[in-house]
Amino acid sequence: MLSISNLTVQYGENPPALEHFNLEMDPGEIVCIVGESGSGKTTIIRSIMGLLPSNGNIVEGSMYFEGNSLLSYSKEQWRSLRGTKISIIFQDSGAMINPIRKIKHQFVEYIRTHQTMSSHEAENLGKEMLAKMQLPSVDNIMNSYAFQLSGGMRQRVGIAMAMTFQPKLLMADEPTSALDVTTQAQIVRQILELRNRFHTGIILVTHNLGVAAYMADKIMVMKDGHIVDMGKRSKVLQYPQSDYTKKLLASVPALDGERYV
Amino acid sequence: MYEKENMILETRHLVKRFPVANHRYLTACDDISLKFYRGQTLGIVGESGCGKSTFMKMLVHLEEPSAGEILFHGEDILKFSKKKRRLNRCKIQMVFQDPMASFDPKMRIRDIICEPLLNFNLISKKDKNSIAKEFLEMVELPAEMADRFPHSLSGGQRQRIGVARALTLNPEIMICDEATSALDVSVQKSIMELIARLQREKGISIGFICHDVALVGQISHQVAVMYLGNIVEILPGDHLKDQGRHPYTKALMSSIFHLDMDFQKKIESLEGDVPSPLNIPPGCPFQNRCKQRIKRCLVEKPYLKEIGEQHFAACHLDI
Repeated sequence: MLSISNLTVQYGENPPALEHFNLEMDPGEIVCIVGESGSGKTTIIRSIMGLLPSNGNIVEGSMYFEGNSLLSYSKEQWRSLRGTKISIIFQDSGAMINPIRKIKHQFVEYIRTHQTMSSHEAENLGKEMLAKMQLPSVDNIMNSYAFQLSGGMRQRVGIAMAMTFQPKLLMADEPTSALDVTTQAQIVRQILELRNRFHTGIILVTHNLGVAAYMADKIMVMKDGHIVDMGKRSKVLQYPQSDYTKKLLASVPALDGERYV
Repeated sequence: MYEKENMILETRHLVKRFPVANHRYLTACDDISLKFYRGQTLGIVGESGCGKSTFMKMLVHLEEPSAGEILFHGEDILKFSKKKRRLNRCKIQMVFQDPMASFDPKMRIRDIICEPLLNFNLISKKDKNSIAKEFLEMVELPAEMADRFPHSLSGGQRQRIGVARALTLNPEIMICDEATSALDVSVQKSIMELIARLQREKGISIGFICHDVALVGQISHQVAVMYLGNIVEILPGDHLKDQGRHPYTKALMSSIFHLDMDFQKKIESLEGDVPSPLNIPPGCPFQNRCKQRIKRCLVEKPYLKEIGEQHFAACHLDI
């Protein structure tokens, strides 16, 4: 479904933020990308969305999505792709939502940008999506402002929006990092349910190795713009190739791990 | 270990309410009684907004409690005069989450480390070099670092300086509020090892808050689980994993993802959200999300009772 080969991205004259990056993804697959800050995780997501900042350039490589080369797309083609076939959820959906407009208006606007439909129909579609995320009293939420919702609810609104057109590829940039553990567990469970229902491929960027291990089919470990480990979940967790991955796995706090005291 | 003579600090029925609009109150901490022992770490776990930071802030006089007592070696520090209070601050020091925000960017590391000592007139200015060197060595940093500014240090190095600064006054209690949360896991591990070593050497008592429940379990001798301003369970750190008996502790533990878990198993998560601290329900604070709720939970608030050795829980159920 998605095939990226030999991708190199450079910001201005700086050394490449991402070098010789390869990724093959099948429909319905979950790939988790882990790595510390500055390792190029967000650059990958931005490249796939065609949203690199103006000083960011793809200097080498190719990207194919469902057989079409993304790099040859015009602005219009990108626009029609984003939000329908490829969607994204952010770390804090509250920052994505306009704070001075009700959820309802933004949801309807989003739907009608991509599909011709009356406001009334769009609103019902929105409510349907919110209900699928198991949000209580959807009418209430539609009439709320972002600040009136809790972090977990906002994140579910963000996911509901991203899933409206049943995208083939969903990108999630640290979707649970701002949430508490119990809320995180709810969101993780719901993202997995969505994958099973819509067969959406998911690229999940996270620094929480536990979450990555639970959700991933494939795990990719990044460091300084390079892939240092990549493969099926069990392979990376049990037989890590690079020293960096080994160190990373050994550093994750575990309840039955070695105690400091 | 938990003898009375080893007890440094005790809070009794500590309450903090913040006034908000329309004459209402936000209850951040509700009736908290905890004890700090020499050379022991007390960890607090709980979700954001449960009041764990407010509790720690009250211990270092950054917040004034609404009711209750803080007994430091048997004396209520809330009744201290201003001068005595200032002197008492030497005894309880704090390491903050973001050292970049808690250091003056225009001060050199040497001055950052020595400032508390100069502030209490414990050293003269000409001793600064040797003192800075001593403390840099203690936190395993090279002595040359004394000349540098915070911005030129990495996050891990900065946090080591944070620990060094907190320890300059030789405190009896060190409070770490999310002290490692901004760091990568590998760096976090080295800081935790440092803190544990310093505790062994100096016998300080540590209050540790972190959102990573597993990490709190690993560093703490005792863990207090907080929910909506209340302590719902206190248990030994090494029992946190599988011997928590309060329904909330169990739910919290089952929400944690770790590398050795059974990936096929469906995760169980709590439904719903934490109620607003602006109107805490009568009865048990956990009532609206508890699957085992009984009628009594709605009307009567449970208090901590001993259910095992060094193990306390606040629940009406037979747990």
